[in-house]
Amino acid sequence: MCKTRQEPIPYRNLLLQENPQTIMNPNPDNVKRIKENASSLYDIAGDLKNMVKDNAVIVFGKDGCCMSYVVKRLLQGLGVNPTVYEVDEEDENDVVIELEGIGAGDGKEGRMQFPTVFIGGRWFGGLERIMATHITGELTTLLKQAGALWL
Amino acid sequence: MNSASTQFIPTRRMGLYEPTSQMGMWNDYRENNFMDIPPPVILDVNSRFDNQSEDTSHGTVGPSNKYDQEASKPVDKVLRRLAQNREAARKCRQRKKAYVQQLENSKLRLMQLEQELERVRQQGLYIGGGLDTGQLGYCGTTNPGIAAFEMAYGQWVEQQNKKNADLRDALYSDIRDVELSSFVEDGMKHYFDLFAMKETAARADVFYLMSGMWRTSAEHFLSWIGGFRPSELLKVLMPHLEPLAEQQRLELSNLRQSCQQAEDALSQGLEKLHQFLSDTVAAGQLGEGPYLPQIRAAMDKLDDMVRFVGQADHLRKETLMQISRNLTPRQAARGLLALGEYFQRLRDLSSLWASSRRESA
Repeated sequence: MCKTRQEPIPYRNLLLQENPQTIMNPNPDNVKRIKENASSLYDIAGDLKNMVKDNAVIVFGKDGCCMSYVVKRLLQGLGVNPTVYEVDEEDENDVVIELEGIGAGDGKEGRMQFPTVFIGGRWFGGLERIMATHITGELTTLLKQAGALWL
Repeated sequence: MNSASTQFIPTRRMGLYEPTSQMGMWNDYRENNFMDIPPPVILDVNSRFDNQSEDTSHGTVGPSNKYDQEASKPVDKVLRRLAQNREAARKCRQRKKAYVQQLENSKLRLMQLEQELERVRQQGLYIGGGLDTGQLGYCGTTNPGIAAFEMAYGQWVEQQNKKNADLRDALYSDIRDVELSSFVEDGMKHYFDLFAMKETAARADVFYLMSGMWRTSAEHFLSWIGGFRPSELLKVLMPHLEPLAEQQRLELSNLRQSCQQAEDALSQGLEKLHQFLSDTVAAGQLGEGPYLPQIRAAMDKLDDMVRFVGQADHLRKETLMQISRNLTPRQAARGLLALGEYFQRLRDLSSLWASSRRESA
């Protein structure tokens, strides 16, 4: 079983510009960002659940965090185009609660940590689990099963 | 042996010396019984001469003997003298060779001791809190976490050498595979212990860990995020694992590629952190007075550095485990031995380098 590598992806700053309205802008890099407004707690919850369901691979990371960047680069290097949700500092708590509601975190290390990854609608883990399964070769299999990888 | 015949020897024996000084020294020797030549030759010549009971005062006995014997049987004596010269010269060359070899060994030992001394001195400086604040950036502040790490690491290296020696003995003895497996597991666990030590040290001072000050220069030069680069390690190990089955070769080749992909991702993340830190610290007007907000913002990001070291060590651990899963106990033992020897050679290279720099300075 051979793994083919993608062509090098040019380094780009993938953070979107701040927009005061609540937005969900699909863009070629699949970076999505939601700004909270007064009634958006419910919206976030609904959106998160849907996003997890609708995306074969989705990475939730803190805004500007280098660790979620590592996850993203690794997945992109495998030929996967992951959806990346960048969480603002102020939304952090709410998002954690919602994600834990959808199954994030295994309770071993207490609270769920960013970055965290869902594959095929199910919670997968953080950077460590991504690295470990990548080394053993399990990750590619799981990604293919979830339909995130076709090569 | 007739001491008079030795007057022919100097040019051959003391090959390194100038002919004029040789003859001068040798003349002194004959006239004043004064030996002014290097120790080994002196000792050897002295011991040889001391064995001859007749050679109590060389200056007087020699010449007269020579003339007497030449009068009676010139040819035989000359031939015998020449033969003995050759023998003496040969023995002298052998002794010189042995002496030089001993010097080389002592030199290597000295280098190792100096290296050890340097490390202990640095550690002592760290604890003492700044005796010589010139070179070391961390002096002036006592960091017990780092001091503890330095000591623990020194012990770790000693244990590592011992384990490697034991592993080598086990590998070349007649032990069963299952016992060899326990050696392999013990060896791998030792590396995992180091990763745990490093994690604690990273929390104490991640810059110290990343600076590689706790390791030798060659090891640091070849390192990647505070330790060995997994894909490079695989490349180093592969030849020592032969013979490999085709399936094993394929698995290891895939593993190497996976490591490279993981390393690239981590490296790029670290690069991003680098740029972020640089931008954060430079933010606002450079040259304005209080710059605390920028520094504070950068400080928050330094926690990510700790995570990077942790992730790199985690990758190393996973790689080592995956390698051993794909190998027979004997192959794994050979691999572990090769690994230990590789790092030891890097440490030796650093010793040699450090000492050659001191000599040429």
